[in-house]
Amino acid sequence: MAAQDGLWYKDAVIYQVHVRAFYDSSGDGNGDFRGLAQKLDYLQELGVNTIWLMPFFPSPLRDDGYDIADYRTVNPTYGTLDDFKAFLEAAHQRGIRVIIEMVLNHTSDQHPWFQESRSSRSNPRRDWYVWSDTDTKYKGTRLIFLDTELSNWAWDPVSKQYYWHRFFSHQPDLNYDNPQVREEMWDIMKFWLQMGVDAFRLDAVPYLVEREGTNCENLPETHEVIKDLRARMDREFPGRMLLAEANQWPADLRAYFGNGDEFNMAFHFPLMPRMFMGLKLEDRKPITEILKQTPEIPENCQWCLFLRNHDELTLEMVTDMERDYMYDEYAKDKAMRLNLGIRRRLAPLLDNDRRRIELMNGLLMSLPGTPIIYYGDEIGMGDNVNLGDRHGVRTPMQWEGGWNGGFSPADPETLYSPLMLNPVYGFQAINVQSQKRFEHSLLSWMKRLIRVRKATPVLGRGSIQFLYPANHRVLAYFRKLGNETILAVNNLSSKAQAVELDLKEYRGSILVEMFGRNIFPRIGDLPYLLTLGPYQFFWFRLRRI
Amino acid sequence: MPDESILSDGFVRELMTVGDVDIVVGVPTYNDARSVGQVVQAVRAGLLKHFPRERSVIINADGGSRDGTQDLVRAAAISDLSVASDVHALRTLHSISTQYEGGPANGIAIHTILAATDLLQARTCAIVSPESTTLEPEWMERLLRPVLRDGNDLVLPIYRRPKFDGLLIRNLVFPMANVLYGCSVREPYPSDFAFSGELGSQFLGQDIWNQEQGRRGTELWMTLWAALGKRKLVQSFLGAKTRREDAPSDLVAAMRETAGTLFTSLDAYTSVWHSTPEAIETPCIGCEPAISDGPSRLNRKRLYDMFTFGVKELDPVFLSILTTPTHDELKRLAGVPEEKFSFSGELWARTVYEFAIAFHKAVIGRDHIVQALVPLFRGRAHTFLTQNRDASVEEMDRNLESLCKAFEQEKPHLIDLWDGGK
Repeated sequence: MAAQDGLWYKDAVIYQVHVRAFYDSSGDGNGDFRGLAQKLDYLQELGVNTIWLMPFFPSPLRDDGYDIADYRTVNPTYGTLDDFKAFLEAAHQRGIRVIIEMVLNHTSDQHPWFQESRSSRSNPRRDWYVWSDTDTKYKGTRLIFLDTELSNWAWDPVSKQYYWHRFFSHQPDLNYDNPQVREEMWDIMKFWLQMGVDAFRLDAVPYLVEREGTNCENLPETHEVIKDLRARMDREFPGRMLLAEANQWPADLRAYFGNGDEFNMAFHFPLMPRMFMGLKLEDRKPITEILKQTPEIPENCQWCLFLRNHDELTLEMVTDMERDYMYDEYAKDKAMRLNLGIRRRLAPLLDNDRRRIELMNGLLMSLPGTPIIYYGDEIGMGDNVNLGDRHGVRTPMQWEGGWNGGFSPADPETLYSPLMLNPVYGFQAINVQSQKRFEHSLLSWMKRLIRVRKATPVLGRGSIQFLYPANHRVLAYFRKLGNETILAVNNLSSKAQAVELDLKEYRGSILVEMFGRNIFPRIGDLPYLLTLGPYQFFWFRLRRI
Repeated sequence: MPDESILSDGFVRELMTVGDVDIVVGVPTYNDARSVGQVVQAVRAGLLKHFPRERSVIINADGGSRDGTQDLVRAAAISDLSVASDVHALRTLHSISTQYEGGPANGIAIHTILAATDLLQARTCAIVSPESTTLEPEWMERLLRPVLRDGNDLVLPIYRRPKFDGLLIRNLVFPMANVLYGCSVREPYPSDFAFSGELGSQFLGQDIWNQEQGRRGTELWMTLWAALGKRKLVQSFLGAKTRREDAPSDLVAAMRETAGTLFTSLDAYTSVWHSTPEAIETPCIGCEPAISDGPSRLNRKRLYDMFTFGVKELDPVFLSILTTPTHDELKRLAGVPEEKFSFSGELWARTVYEFAIAFHKAVIGRDHIVQALVPLFRGRAHTFLTQNRDASVEEMDRNLESLCKAFEQEKPHLIDLWDGGK
């Protein structure tokens, strides 16, 4: 797509989807690119303008595609490269941009590079990975997958050395001290950019480079790799975007924006659990505190916000006390816990409470950043904690109440994953078809929300100013851009609340509620009194008339 | 119906921002700037440590301080606007303050806190003294957990007190409450205690808040009301309790609060003490020896002098209060030299009971009656100090038992006088 506006990602509403889980056009039980292309009209109608695709490359699928065995083509299960191109073109025709995954840090152990590398110590690709005679190097490095891995080193019986891996042992880390690796990865990115992809989500970026005596995260050398890739991309493909997956504290994350010359966007990981925490505590404090700790970022950069995604609701960026609280409140059943997180979808996390689902989506769309909707959350899909790993949140999209939920014509037992069948979240109860029929369904409501968000550039590009009313159950903030000011007021409580807002700065302005366009009283000298129902939120446009 | 009219509009607005809570910690104050900051910081630390997930609020009901007391309480708040970097809390902790009308009076402060607790639908409320400089964060756990976890209605403290602290409790309140009501709690007139939200609402609904016991001695009234109402009481060992060095010591006021409340209670609970009251069960959580060694700060010679002076000066008053034998006995005692002076438990019990009768009959102004007991109490205190100067904890407990027996022995005398005998 033509890059008419280099900052398009600030106005984006992103839809995260797994090709395998979305729509099966071939009848083999797996979603595919042709199927995804067929559902683009649905996404256009939903209102999203950007799609983020999870990995679709050839892979043994031991980590849901994040273990890539070939970076330059499409997993045959999902179709062909031509299918991808056709999908990309169809998306662009609808004004929808496409973000694809790029797993820079590691490959699958089935990748030919690793097979060559391990074949002998003298192989030319030996140095493409990180090898060692001992498993004692980089001692200061934490384990990420605590539930499955005992060490960041794995023994290779073929070449009789240890290799370094930050994630699963079947995902050896690439060696970014090797210039050949860096050139090769850029070449792969170029391959996809030339095809027309609009952006990359770069997976696991803090771990690219290792240095003794450090925790091997966020190292300056890692930033150099990113800067180099960004510079090349800007030079050859202006208007494209890099999105960082770096599960770090805001202060550490800040570095990934550089001087506006590293990532264009980064996920705000610490905010997400605090939104859930604030909701359960009925207290805005966790949200405002983390946002106050969030440093300013360069003008051309943007945070990426999400409620749920394909991974567990990560609790790495919270204190022990907060983690215990989150577990007790959101994952009472220990089967819901995985690594340092909670493997659940949005609707079950919120007890399928429509008011809370709306409020959380309202926050997602009004806090500073670009929102991401995880596929199925727009209709309130459930999860299946009985499936291993994070598969429970990656079940097939529920399109209708008929055969296989409309996902696939295949026999149910051949589907890549069991469908949701329970009476609350099963496809008979929750599906796109039934929700399209009603103006007040969650799907219809989400469409309205997205429409308002997209029509309000200040929400994507504006600054934020918190109001701190005395009632701590109410989270209120201005979003400002130029002469436009939006006031968002959110009741985090399960009970009705009254709140007095100090709006004297806008004395004389009229509040216009943005969903119904109703007029609220003019701001006067006294504190502005609002009452909000349980979990209710308002967005107001402030107008001087 | 709870009386919420004592809450000012401004305070109601503050309560509105607090919203419903699990825990209220009430702090009645009046010019307590020298210690209240330390107390509320310890309260806050206790809430953060032991109840990090509960919705809590510190409520200060102030009698009109002009020394910055209220600001010190408000400074304990934790919010997203103002929070010390070394404090990590899951949620907001409000710490609010209000000045009540008609003060200073602890009863009005408690009334205010009760009304706020009721409005906020708190599950439990602890009240702590602004002078409790030995208050540790663990006190919050020891006061509140028995309500929140175990479903108790009223949690009364047990302190480790210096040997000669709390003389009025040991010589008057404890034996009288024990013998007349079967209530043997160590601190029936607590300064740090907790109760359930439900019991708080019941306190609030009683018709005492326009009476004297709704102004002073309210804590003692609450203990007796809960105990005699068969509410679930428990005692919880808190730790050492010492008075602030500069704390004002007003024996007349203390006598009004204790004796005045006890004497008033005789009218409310006549049928209870006329019979043999059932012993009220008050288990103790974490109890340890409750007395620590330490020198007396009291001047025995002065106590003796004030007793003899009082007996002489107040003779006309005593004539209208006491029976002739008791009056004569006290006059005789006032003539005994200090080294041989001994105000026996029996005489003290009889004296107290006769004062109670006089109070009941209002033979003279009730406040005068209570004030007139003060010099006599000083005489009793002199004997207590003499008796227990070298006593071990066990010996002190035995002496207390003896005193209770004396109150028991003299009880028929009280009944007899109450019922009209002379």
